[in-house]
Amino acid sequence: MAAASPTPSPLLSLRRAAKSYGGVRALRGVDFDLRAGEVHALLGENGAGKSTLIKIITGAHRPDAGEITVAGRTLDGLTPALAQQLGIACIYQSPALFPDLTVAENIGLRLEPAGAMRRVDWGARHRRAAQLLQQVGASIAPAAEVRTLSMPEQQLVEIACAIGAGARIVVMDEPTASLTQREQERLFTVVRELRAAGVGVIYISHRLEEIFALADRVTVLRDGQSVGTHGLNEVTEAGLIKLMVGREVAQIYPPAESAPGEPVLTLRGVGCAASGVHGVSFEVRAGEIFGVAGLVGAGRTELARILFGLTPADAGEITLNRERLAPRSPPEAVARGIAYVPEDRRRHGVVLEMPIAQNMTMAVHRRLFPGGWLRGAAEQGLARDFIRDLAIKTAGPDAPGGSLSGGNQQKVSLARWLATQPRLLILDEPTQGVDVGAKSEIHRIIRQLAKDGLAVIMISSDLPEVLGMSDRIGVMRGGTLTAVLPGGSPAAAVMAAALGQNERPDPA
Amino acid sequence: MNASGSHSAGWKSVVLRYETLLFVVLVAEWFFFYHYGTTTNRRGTVVGFGTLDRQFDILRHSCEIGLLALALTPVILTAGIDLSVGSLLGLCAILFGKLWHDGGLSIPAAAALTLVAGALGGGLNATLITRLRLPPLIVTLGTYSLFRGLAEAITHGAVTYTDFPAGFLFFGQERWLGLPTQAWLFALVAAAIWLLVHRTTWGRAFRTIGFSPEGARYAGLPVERRVAQVYVLAGLIAALAALIYTARLGQAKADAGTGYELFAITAVVLGGTSIFGGRGSVTGTLLGVAAIAVLKNGLACLPVVIRLNAAEEMSGLLTGALLLLALTGSVLPKLWSSFRSRHRRT
Repeated sequence: MAAASPTPSPLLSLRRAAKSYGGVRALRGVDFDLRAGEVHALLGENGAGKSTLIKIITGAHRPDAGEITVAGRTLDGLTPALAQQLGIACIYQSPALFPDLTVAENIGLRLEPAGAMRRVDWGARHRRAAQLLQQVGASIAPAAEVRTLSMPEQQLVEIACAIGAGARIVVMDEPTASLTQREQERLFTVVRELRAAGVGVIYISHRLEEIFALADRVTVLRDGQSVGTHGLNEVTEAGLIKLMVGREVAQIYPPAESAPGEPVLTLRGVGCAASGVHGVSFEVRAGEIFGVAGLVGAGRTELARILFGLTPADAGEITLNRERLAPRSPPEAVARGIAYVPEDRRRHGVVLEMPIAQNMTMAVHRRLFPGGWLRGAAEQGLARDFIRDLAIKTAGPDAPGGSLSGGNQQKVSLARWLATQPRLLILDEPTQGVDVGAKSEIHRIIRQLAKDGLAVIMISSDLPEVLGMSDRIGVMRGGTLTAVLPGGSPAAAVMAAALGQNERPDPA
Repeated sequence: MNASGSHSAGWKSVVLRYETLLFVVLVAEWFFFYHYGTTTNRRGTVVGFGTLDRQFDILRHSCEIGLLALALTPVILTAGIDLSVGSLLGLCAILFGKLWHDGGLSIPAAAALTLVAGALGGGLNATLITRLRLPPLIVTLGTYSLFRGLAEAITHGAVTYTDFPAGFLFFGQERWLGLPTQAWLFALVAAAIWLLVHRTTWGRAFRTIGFSPEGARYAGLPVERRVAQVYVLAGLIAALAALIYTARLGQAKADAGTGYELFAITAVVLGGTSIFGGRGSVTGTLLGVAAIAVLKNGLACLPVVIRLNAAEEMSGLLTGALLLLALTGSVLPKLWSSFRSRHRRT
């Protein structure tokens, strides 16, 4: 057995793990080690095999070949129950808690032994929940219903469950995708505490700066194979991107080359009581990318929803090309030339069950199908053009939207709105959860659109993206626009405005 | 991540295959009844399923349920449901009879007003569903009772309108160009609904709403307007079915069309339309209607069923069995492939 190994034996190790799904080889012989007390980042483009690896570790799937060693036991596969028993816990991007139960009940369900006729000791349950929540530094009442918690608070509850279950191995799958900077910091503190307590953390993220801030080692996956495990002091950001994509990415953000023209959209004191937005004033010019930064909940998506007619404004004035704009519904906004690529592409951006071609023509029924009669040839033609122009990876125009990867779905969503030949394009988190390759392609497309004279509003929580792409940056806080900064402003200035710190960033 | 590469074959071909299967079942069913349900009586004349008269009867009887099934297809495609169409049929029949008999209107005027009333009834459903955002199942469960209640209130549960002129009865009892007159009307409506669902942006919108109402809203589709339209259309077609029903029986009474909504829903679902919305076809609905009509009438011709006097019971039983079989049939390929993949690896 592994007892004679010279270095301390890892908490978990995978040897030559392989897995195929109906002919597609998702993993082809991956080796992976997790030590006690380390944060081990897992990096790779979408489709590189990260999810498959995680599914094998959590017991959701059995590997076709290879072996797993956990806590000194060598197995050829795990089951979810066995993984839990061996101290493996997984924190997903969107927590899987019961929204209608309280925090204490959710924790109780995970940790207390189940059994018929077992009486619930409510006092003990609440005390235990309170203690675990305190351990993760969360100020959440055990009696609160989970539905009233924010996403990051729910994640903390999940982590509390993992700690309560005595997890030695914690897997975190893109935990910060929907977190603000401050929430992220708090999460990092919790992760560091886990590490200090000797827990091994497997950390998946697309955000390189996070990995550099948090992780000790990183394993890069590409095409189902491990292309190397490195200490984070040995590699650079550019080096990691090269490992991930297998090529140099010269510039992460394409340079601005447009000279903004006439104002296209003007807002004067715009507000909507229902969604908590108030007193928003700014303008966007033709050929300009207007970045909108801010914390989650600052009212950025709510602002987009006002412009798209989903929650009509009840205060202020909006003009589009010098004409008054007050859309009461999305069809009205679309008729005026407003396009909105929403944040949640699986629910709002793409209809997963419908073919790509139908997804792309959805907003141009009137123009493409005069009289309401469908014209298959026109539809296929439009779809083929966009598949070519945006380099969408798909089996063809008739493949269902759900068969595409995240980045390609985002391109379909984008194509739908480009087909409307809009005057104003609103992008809400255009590259969230998109792999590095597709991300830079989407950035290039956005830049090209601005160059062609389109007015673009780009909402993003990805600070480097906002800084790198925007000609000007509007910062929102508490439902209103608090600052407009020039493009290329230092990150600290944007963060300061988003957090409401009036003092200027340190002049040093 | 690298999820389902397997279902990229497309749902279109699956629907097509299902419809083909249903068609084969229908033909088999027909030949079965033709073989076992046709007899020669003592006087040497052929009676039962195999006679032309019986076939025309099947056609006549299926028109009203068929119309309701056609009305329900767009509704169910939007992931909605309309339980009130059978009751609305009854109410419209009574309104038509009253307008003509008591109101002294001409037949065409009464018929036109009845169609308007049907559309208004559908409009009531539409308003409650789109303006108040109430679930269609609950709304139409309410109007299901309301419309039937109104019909009974108008007639005090006793009045039956009869003695309609021959010119009107022609639409329900006579033949035109060799076929029962109402079959032509039915064919016309079927063609119109087929074009609407499969060849227009309206049909596309119905499907989109059925798959993802939020997705449709974010695509800038007029979701409320389209949803309202399918219920108004359903009401209008229910009124037309009421006219044909009245013409076939020569009388209008308050219990007209009782239980028809369930047969119609069964036909739509049997035809492969998903009750969760998005997937389905008008061709499937027509096949579903035909399968149920042939089953019902064919059973009544089987000697064994006649001897047991169990036509109603048998047709209910077999319709249910057919529906459950169709539903399991549509998930069997999926079950089989997952079973195989689970066992291939060991």
